[in-house]
Amino acid sequence: MSAHESIIIPKKELPANIVKLGWALTVIGLVLVVLSYVTDAQRAGFNNIIGFTFLASVAVGAVFFIAIEYIAGAVWSTPFRRVLEFLGMLLVPVVLLAIPIFLNFHSLYHWSHADVVAADKVLQSKSPYLNEQFFAIRFVIYIVIWSLFYFIFRHNSLKQDKDNDQARTKKNIGLAAAFIPLLAISISLFSIDWLMSLEPHWFSTMFGVYYFTGSIVTALAVTTYFVVLLSERGYFFKGINENHYYSFGALLFGLLSFWAYIAFSQFMLIWYANLPEENFWFITRWQNGWEYVSVAIVLFHFWIPYFMLVSRPSKMKPRVLKQSAAILIAAHFLDMYWLVMPTYSASPVFSYYEIAFPILSIGLIIVVFAMQAKKYNLVPVGDPKLQRGIDFHL
Amino acid sequence: MSSTVLDYSKELSVIEGLPSAATLDEMIEKPINDFPQRRWFIGLAITGTMLMIGVVSLTWLLWKGVGVWGINQPVAWGFDVVNFVFWVGIGHAGTLISAILFLFRQKWRTGIARFAEAMTLFAVLCAVQFVIFHTGRPWLAMAWLFPYPNQHGVWVNFTSPLEWDVFAVNTYFIVSAVFWYLGLIPDFATLRDRATTTIKKVTFSILSLGWRFSNRHWQHYERAYLIMAGFATPLVLSVHTIVSFDFAVSIIPGWHTTIFPPYFVAGAIFSGFAMVQNVLIITRKAFKFETLITMDTIEKMNKIILVTGTIVGYAYIMEFFIAWYSGNATELFVFVNRAFGPYWWAYWTMMTCNLFTPQLFWSKKIRTSLLASFILAIFVNIGMWFERFVIIVTSLHRDFLPSSWGMFVPTMWDFGMLIGSFGLFFTLVLLFVKFLPAIAMAEIKAVIPGAQPTHHGNGASH
Repeated sequence: MSAHESIIIPKKELPANIVKLGWALTVIGLVLVVLSYVTDAQRAGFNNIIGFTFLASVAVGAVFFIAIEYIAGAVWSTPFRRVLEFLGMLLVPVVLLAIPIFLNFHSLYHWSHADVVAADKVLQSKSPYLNEQFFAIRFVIYIVIWSLFYFIFRHNSLKQDKDNDQARTKKNIGLAAAFIPLLAISISLFSIDWLMSLEPHWFSTMFGVYYFTGSIVTALAVTTYFVVLLSERGYFFKGINENHYYSFGALLFGLLSFWAYIAFSQFMLIWYANLPEENFWFITRWQNGWEYVSVAIVLFHFWIPYFMLVSRPSKMKPRVLKQSAAILIAAHFLDMYWLVMPTYSASPVFSYYEIAFPILSIGLIIVVFAMQAKKYNLVPVGDPKLQRGIDFHL
Repeated sequence: MSSTVLDYSKELSVIEGLPSAATLDEMIEKPINDFPQRRWFIGLAITGTMLMIGVVSLTWLLWKGVGVWGINQPVAWGFDVVNFVFWVGIGHAGTLISAILFLFRQKWRTGIARFAEAMTLFAVLCAVQFVIFHTGRPWLAMAWLFPYPNQHGVWVNFTSPLEWDVFAVNTYFIVSAVFWYLGLIPDFATLRDRATTTIKKVTFSILSLGWRFSNRHWQHYERAYLIMAGFATPLVLSVHTIVSFDFAVSIIPGWHTTIFPPYFVAGAIFSGFAMVQNVLIITRKAFKFETLITMDTIEKMNKIILVTGTIVGYAYIMEFFIAWYSGNATELFVFVNRAFGPYWWAYWTMMTCNLFTPQLFWSKKIRTSLLASFILAIFVNIGMWFERFVIIVTSLHRDFLPSSWGMFVPTMWDFGMLIGSFGLFFTLVLLFVKFLPAIAMAEIKAVIPGAQPTHHGNGASH
């Protein structure tokens, strides 16, 4: 009677070469990270922030999409929700990546020096918020909120594989409603803490929205990549077709356009008003070679994937989807680099320090995903919306 | 219903029951064919009177000049700009429902899209009058609003966001109107085919542009509709973004803040949905559309009101937090002054109506109560009007030089024009529901259970 009985899942392990690649990248990344920290701890620390905020984007973005899937009653995405549920597990490496940053805190966050704050009136006025104890407490609160909701969503979803209990869907819908406002506040403050406060004099009310939007674009890009890759190799159902692909493409297209809107608005308003207390942040990013990075972000985070995905047929092509997703993932790294590194260096730098964390992050994404996929179904087989999702038609 | 778990494996029907296509046509056409009820005339008398108050105020304004308004230094923008932003905001729901929700494949939008779109057009008209008369001498404004070679030697200032507004609002109006008309074409054809009098037959024949319900017509229609939805989507965001630029590009504390664009757009959708909700509840009741516009639709509207209201609340709090975090004394002063200065009542009205009372919609009981939905939607409209008042007046009234501080006191002509704009809006709404189909006949047929190729049965026959 219910949908799940007619669905037979070929339970397969992920392709061995992908898993091997994941482990190889993780090991190489770890070696490079250790080498970076041994040779130049400060530079390694700044790069650590890039890798950390990148992985946090993927993890938190994935949890956000789980919540949205439930609360919006989305159907087309149900067959792929497990991909998001696997990616949410990246919250564990996110916490691990925060540890070395805390250990090198003083060389990274200017406002953490008592003597600097004492000599600076603006920083003094911020010190009730920007101080190390409160910073650490806030970080713990964010992680608790994110992981608490993530593990309950996941628990209900995994349990549903066995008992097909619709009440679990209802429970997750209620939790999703509670989670989304908490997420909005926590991720905004998270980005202010870890990224905006690198330049403690600078402020922008849009910044939280900017990081959040970048995060969900990246999480969706990673998800799209996994879905298309695995779907091509027969890991999902026969019913997965261009209608599903189109939905991924359209959502990616919409969100990257929204990101561009947010990024442009933030830039335009500061540029137009031209107040010295704000504009220095963009001026720093428009000189000594940083202007090339700025232009590259505009191209790779917006224009190139925009034109790749703008036409209706292209949103359905697996190749285009994978390429644009890969470009957006790389662009988000570049975006984090652009947010963080001008604090470290007056002009762009590039060496093994800068590739250590991207390699490690990509490796971790694959490894975490593979470990989960080995243990659990790749598809939420007990979900009541699954059959509707497979049958989805534009 | 609420105690048991819904069956998520089945799609909920957008409309109640299984009416035939002919019944649907009849139900929707009924208000057009019937001689209006007495309460329609009473309504028209009230809105017409309000409209006349507006006309009198306008005449006096044109005779005397903008000095009849309460604006002066330091508050040089008063009700004119408050009302403009308010009405443009109201005008955001229609195209959001018809374009963005269409792209998001939200079928429940079908029943309400038509009159939400109509309300968009009327609201934009209401908004436009304020900016035109705000220019002081609108007969000369042509020269500096539109870039055409003229004898005054005046050229438009393209670096001003006020000028961008001219283009943004015009584009939005034109595209919304074309989109609305596009959706009306098949319905005009239905009305033509069902017409009983010659006048109707001729009128609807002309308006339906030769539509014959052929397969090829539908194919073109669907494609055009999708393209228009794609066009209209960025416009929904662009209009209020540009309106927010009017303030945010300046260096006035309280106006210059980077979150303004998405915050204004969310606020616009918030107020627009509230206004649609108000009109929806009345129309649904008056014309007995209960089976076409279900409680589920009203509940979903309330959910969107809750979401957008909370986004707006996020922006209020983020602004306040960053004003403190910036360490900028003037910035912080403006925000503290907003909340605890002489206009504290406006600020807390805004906070209450926009952030606090919509939180009641967390309760399913309140979300599904017609009376509560109606009252809370009115609260939203009040709150959103006060939001613009707070942003504009409180940011201006205590400027950088304490010796030039002042208060803004509106005159009766300010209120006259505000009342007049409501009169114009509701008069147009009343005329619309009488003379045009308030629900999209062709579209609603596509969401009857069984109309979709993927349909899996809803306990209903195919």
